[in-house]
Amino acid sequence: MAHTHVPTLQDTRTTLDGLGPRVFGASLAIGIVGMLAAFGLGSAQGDNLKQFAFAYVLNFAFFLGISLGALIFIGIMYVTRASWNVVIRRLAEVMAAVTPLLALLAIPVIMLAGRVYGWMDPEVARSHAMAHKAGYLNQGAFTLRWVIYFVVWTGYAMFYWRSSVAQDKTGDLKITRRFENLSGFALMASGICLALASFDLVMSIDPLWASTMFGVYYFSGSFVSFFAVLTLVTMGLQNTGRLTRIVSAEHFHDYGKLMFGFTFFWGYIAYSQYMLYWYANIPEETAWYLLRSTNGWGSVGLATLFCTFALPFCGLISRWAKRNRKVMAFWAVWIIVAQWLNLYWVIMPEYSEHAVFSPAAVALFVGIGGLWFAGVTRLAMGNSLVPTRDPRLEESLRFENA
Amino acid sequence: MSATPRHGALHALMTDFESPSQFMHACEKVRDAGFRHWDAHSPFPVHGLDDAMGIRGTRLPWIVLVGGITGFSAALLMQWWMNAVDYPYVISGKPLLGLPANFPVMFELTVLFSAFACFFGMWGLNGMPRLHHPLLANDRFRRASQDRFYVVIEARDPKFDSEKTRAFLASLGGAAVEEVREIVEG
Repeated sequence: MAHTHVPTLQDTRTTLDGLGPRVFGASLAIGIVGMLAAFGLGSAQGDNLKQFAFAYVLNFAFFLGISLGALIFIGIMYVTRASWNVVIRRLAEVMAAVTPLLALLAIPVIMLAGRVYGWMDPEVARSHAMAHKAGYLNQGAFTLRWVIYFVVWTGYAMFYWRSSVAQDKTGDLKITRRFENLSGFALMASGICLALASFDLVMSIDPLWASTMFGVYYFSGSFVSFFAVLTLVTMGLQNTGRLTRIVSAEHFHDYGKLMFGFTFFWGYIAYSQYMLYWYANIPEETAWYLLRSTNGWGSVGLATLFCTFALPFCGLISRWAKRNRKVMAFWAVWIIVAQWLNLYWVIMPEYSEHAVFSPAAVALFVGIGGLWFAGVTRLAMGNSLVPTRDPRLEESLRFENA
Repeated sequence: MSATPRHGALHALMTDFESPSQFMHACEKVRDAGFRHWDAHSPFPVHGLDDAMGIRGTRLPWIVLVGGITGFSAALLMQWWMNAVDYPYVISGKPLLGLPANFPVMFELTVLFSAFACFFGMWGLNGMPRLHHPLLANDRFRRASQDRFYVVIEARDPKFDSEKTRAFLASLGGAAVEEVREIVEG
């Protein structure tokens, strides 16, 4: 490395400073306006907020997935003792540490459960098929499980973020060691909670249908969305003169590899889930796909197959694409829209068996997204955007893809 | 002691360096002088060496792409021919050409053909298999796996001129310039 100049933290800005309060205020305002608009649009439906409730679950699941993606990303980076990510890890830490806000946003899910979840319908709950599930799928157990999920996620997310910020001041190596020792447990506990939460939040909308790989399905989509958001946030910060030079094409190349890899992983999982039900052809299992392939939903499903998998797969396969900022920005936006559309296809057919466009869902994307982003910005204010004294920071700054 | 190998025509001229920075400078100069058939050897990966040597991107991804597309299409064609044309056979009530059931094989053959294309394509581009190389018979070159950095310009390079290239290599500031000879069998 005698030749290439290694950038240092002095070469760029590593705090939000004046930008923080402005972005926080703007996203909070956008979030509140979005929420109010969604509530207005939902009430105007005159269906006792049923569509609003489905749209809420959809967008809550989307942004929860991004934060959980961040949490699992941090865990994997410590378990593998990776160094390339250090320079951008603080961004993932704040995205994960907004889980307390997501816990607040989960309260409406519990309040609106009666409008969304089949098992809340007394008639369905009494049916023979539900006899063995009723002990698990009832409002008390549902609420209790959400409390447990959020205790686990928030515990680990706050632990990562707080200790990492503390390390900025002390440079204590023990913190890194502790992360490495505990991340295996963190991954297992948050992963199990994520899988169970996806069953509760999305799969149990139709309580008679079950897929053991639904947790992985939800995780893979969320993980791709997380990398897409991380890419856009990093680029946004660089456009304001922050994190420039220290986050290089090498780091973006890795974002691209992860986005590409998990796009394929999502396709693999989505297909495997479909293929097994298609092949077995048992009515109670295929019912879920039947609803989603008729009355207009089939075209939506086919669109997600191409938009979520085939097109980004081809678009991101080349090394050139991963190292080109404009191409990466394009696919990051594309993937966020496509993954959201996929969740729409998974959730909304239960609301209406005919394909519908829900303006409330779009408004809630803005609403929950705005609040989520305001939360992330609030956490990023006041601290460095880079873990300044992480022992692997130097390696991360020198990182080059072989 | 075994017999000294007989030496043939001039294979290349070689010089060596003690530090990676001298080595990188030398590579930049060789690159700028416009040589094409030359190489740099180092005991460990040196970041930035690709740029210093002016190595262009490899063609390997295109070979892999062709391999992958071949595997994908071959798998579809094979299943269509076998199950829908040559020996139509209904399996668990599925269509004779049922894409969901065919995808796993298409996926597997895509991976298999891509991996073969990648592995053997890499061999081809690197001129392998090759059982011996004149450099390996050079005693001085042994330190390429220990603590020396080598720049080697081959005689087949169009710009190679034994006198001028020797002077050029000497000007790079390494240790002495040495001739590497082809090994002659028997």
